[in-house]
Amino acid sequence: MAVDGVTLDIAAGEFFSLLGPSGCGKTTSLRMIAGFELPDSGRVHVGGRDITDLPVHRRDMGMVFQSYALFPHRTVAENVAFGLRMREVPRPEIGRRVKAALAQVALTGLEERRPGQLSGGQQQRVALARALVVEPPVLLCDEPLGALDRKLRQQMQFELKELQKRLGVTLVFVTHDQEEALAMSDRIAVMNRGRVEQVGAPTEIYERPRTRFVADFIGEINILEEAGQARALRPEKIRLVSVSDARVAGTVETANFLGGSTLYRVRAADGRSLLVRETHAGERAPRGTGDAVGLTWNDSDAVKLES
Amino acid sequence: MSALPNKQPFDAGRAAYLALNVALLFFLLAPIVIVLVFALNPTPYISFPPVGVSLRWFDKFFGSAEFMNALWLSLWVAGCVLVLSILIGGASALALARGNLPGRAFLTAFFMSPLMLPAILTGLALFQSYLLIGIGRPVWGLIMAHTLVAVPYVIRTTLAVLHNFDRRIEEAAAVLGASPVRVFFEVTLPLIRPGVFAGGVFAFIVSFDQFPVSLFLVVPKGETLPVVLFNYMKFDLDGAIAAASMVSILLALSVVLVLERLIGLKAYVKL
Amino acid sequence: MISRRKALRAGAGLAAVGALGAPAIAHAETATLKITTWGGKWGDIMKATVLPAFEKEFKCTVSADQAFPFMPKLQTSSKTDPLYDVFHTNSNEQWSALTEGLVMPKITAKEVPNVADVYPYAVSDKIVGVTIFTSAIGLGYRTDKGLTKPTSWKDLADPKLAGARGGYLIPVNSLGQAHLMMLGKIYGKGLTDLDAAYKALEQLKPIKLVDFTGQMEKMLLSGEVSEGVIHDSGVYRYDGQNQAVDFASPSEGVLSLEQVLNVTPGSKLRELAFGYIDYMLRPDVQKMLAEAVWYSPANKKVKLDAKYDAKLLTTEAKVATLIQPDWKWYNERKDDIDARVTKILKS
Repeated sequence: MAVDGVTLDIAAGEFFSLLGPSGCGKTTSLRMIAGFELPDSGRVHVGGRDITDLPVHRRDMGMVFQSYALFPHRTVAENVAFGLRMREVPRPEIGRRVKAALAQVALTGLEERRPGQLSGGQQQRVALARALVVEPPVLLCDEPLGALDRKLRQQMQFELKELQKRLGVTLVFVTHDQEEALAMSDRIAVMNRGRVEQVGAPTEIYERPRTRFVADFIGEINILEEAGQARALRPEKIRLVSVSDARVAGTVETANFLGGSTLYRVRAADGRSLLVRETHAGERAPRGTGDAVGLTWNDSDAVKLES
Repeated sequence: MSALPNKQPFDAGRAAYLALNVALLFFLLAPIVIVLVFALNPTPYISFPPVGVSLRWFDKFFGSAEFMNALWLSLWVAGCVLVLSILIGGASALALARGNLPGRAFLTAFFMSPLMLPAILTGLALFQSYLLIGIGRPVWGLIMAHTLVAVPYVIRTTLAVLHNFDRRIEEAAAVLGASPVRVFFEVTLPLIRPGVFAGGVFAFIVSFDQFPVSLFLVVPKGETLPVVLFNYMKFDLDGAIAAASMVSILLALSVVLVLERLIGLKAYVKL
Repeated sequence: MISRRKALRAGAGLAAVGALGAPAIAHAETATLKITTWGGKWGDIMKATVLPAFEKEFKCTVSADQAFPFMPKLQTSSKTDPLYDVFHTNSNEQWSALTEGLVMPKITAKEVPNVADVYPYAVSDKIVGVTIFTSAIGLGYRTDKGLTKPTSWKDLADPKLAGARGGYLIPVNSLGQAHLMMLGKIYGKGLTDLDAAYKALEQLKPIKLVDFTGQMEKMLLSGEVSEGVIHDSGVYRYDGQNQAVDFASPSEGVLSLEQVLNVTPGSKLRELAFGYIDYMLRPDVQKMLAEAVWYSPANKKVKLDAKYDAKLLTTEAKVATLIQPDWKWYNERKDDIDARVTKILKS
């Protein structure tokens, strides 16, 4: 799980995601920022201040865990108040801020419940409120939505993003879910085997993957090998045309109807297999298995990959 | 089982299950019932059917200075053992689970070893060492001996809780600004407490009922209840023994109930 | 109900516990004689009367251990600083203690003047130390089961008594061991005729076995056992309590169950220890204890009340019926005998 030569420059107020498969070092990097792990070399700075040697409890960060890590022996209100108590905030102010924080995550009225009596989504909100109530300059999230079901997860994605923008907090978000990262982040660092493969805005990461790993990890991709140069071509950049206009001719092997689009696997005449995504509004019947098709694309859409 | 139709008139599996439970309950409770009958029966021997109900054996038990001294000593010793084994056992379990100690498996086995040794040998060995170093047989020596055999129970139950402990909870507290000391008192301790106290209940009972370890370590006029009962039986086998047993059972039970009430042994942590 | 007075006494127990830590220092200059003694009624009288009077007269304190087992505790302690000064046990244990050098071989009138007044059995060659009391081991029986009063040890083998006769777990009970030797004498060539004894034991099955005499008393009282091996004091103690039990002395003789006192060679209070034994042999002390627990006094000069005198062994003629087992002989073979009788009684 070691990380090697990771350099991340995260701007204030940014929603920054660390994306990669499990074991890529994203969680380790996050835990280094939090102070649970110490780097053998290298430093951690926040707002120009070197915090590498500060213990966890003096780093003044917020953190949300995948398991929520709520205090099971304390009520919702006590959970949220915890960070304020540690900072010796006066009692009346604690009460006020806890109330505000719970209102912010729409949990008003559940103050006296214990975590065990809440649903997963509610627990997630408590965890969020608990982290945000101390107004940390940096909020660290370790797969915070990983334990939620799909629908709730999407809803929480919106809420979290909205909350982050409203509060202007810098958010470092660890996920293995590329859709989640693409949907929420201002910028993404794609990690693999302890190294950062590419840092960039979601569109940049998606449209112009720099390495084969990034291209492959995010979305569907065709890798074209031409004279020793690998190029990445997204399925939706390939157009279906008549065989006479085609760069490549082939036959449809499978056609997966996905609602707004259809994903074809096309076997080209030269034996290559290509993925093609065709968006449609229902005016044209999708092609079926065994149909002869022609494929074409713009050269500029086939992105050169570093070897 | 549940897939079978509900209205089936006779479910053999369920009947057998019920019968087994009844048999187990009977097996566990029958001795207590016999002791109670013996304790309430006025004859100085067990007779069936009992010839009457009388409190004369309870009267004899509570009226005997010897029994009362022994009862109070046993309670006092068990109370000290409860406190000591909670402190020692709880701390040891934390060290074993969290300390990153070299030879942890060996250390765990070492702490558990008093349970492996026949208690009578533990008692004899301690008696020998006490005589050898010339401290005699003070009450604190007896308390130490009981603590020795009680601590493994606390370690066991505490380790069980620590095993299921989500350390992210402690990390969450740390990120929120709690120093390691505060994390321990605000989070770790409250969460392992049910395990520690469950072990403490065992420790109390182990000490209160302790016979083999005490056998050699009690002194004249400073004998614990089980030892007094054992010697009493050799000369007067009457209902006072049964009355004493009932009192012991009720005392042990009430300690468990009180601790359960105070701390909530089943509380919020999966044991 | 528990009276208020008793509840208060119970409360006082707590204070006693609190004070346990410090007694040694408080009486630093007073000698403390460490003894073993029995519990039960005997222990009550010892603690209430006999020992306080002794402490007063001899200006010492007595620490009386009533918690078994005495022997391993004495074995464990140092011979030069033994745990006990006076060792009170039954005769068989004195012999084991002697082989380990834990007690003196003999107590004579030179050390303990009152020994001059004891019956010969009390200092016979079967005794280590000196006997202060004895009980007679014979047969206890129910008087309400249509049984004739047993006259012989052989009566226990009566087929009518199958399953209703009582005996002991021989490895752990000296009454059982003595009875085994008696079987050798009755059915064979003598007390040491083990082969005859084993055969006779086989004939006593089915038999109810207990580990200590208190249990035998209760089995007789409850009627679970109609006839069993027991010492006279275990039956006579229910005298006047309207129980349907009595004791019979077989014509072949009764076995003696001696209460023996001895001094540990390493005792630092040797004179006081001898003084204690002398005190225990005094006629007035002997009378008090004998009448309390129905033990036959070893001192010839003791005059018991008629009720006790009639039943206990208080004349030369009566003590002549006592048969003393050779415990040295028995102890040397104990392991083999244990293995053998366990097999016999198990199958």
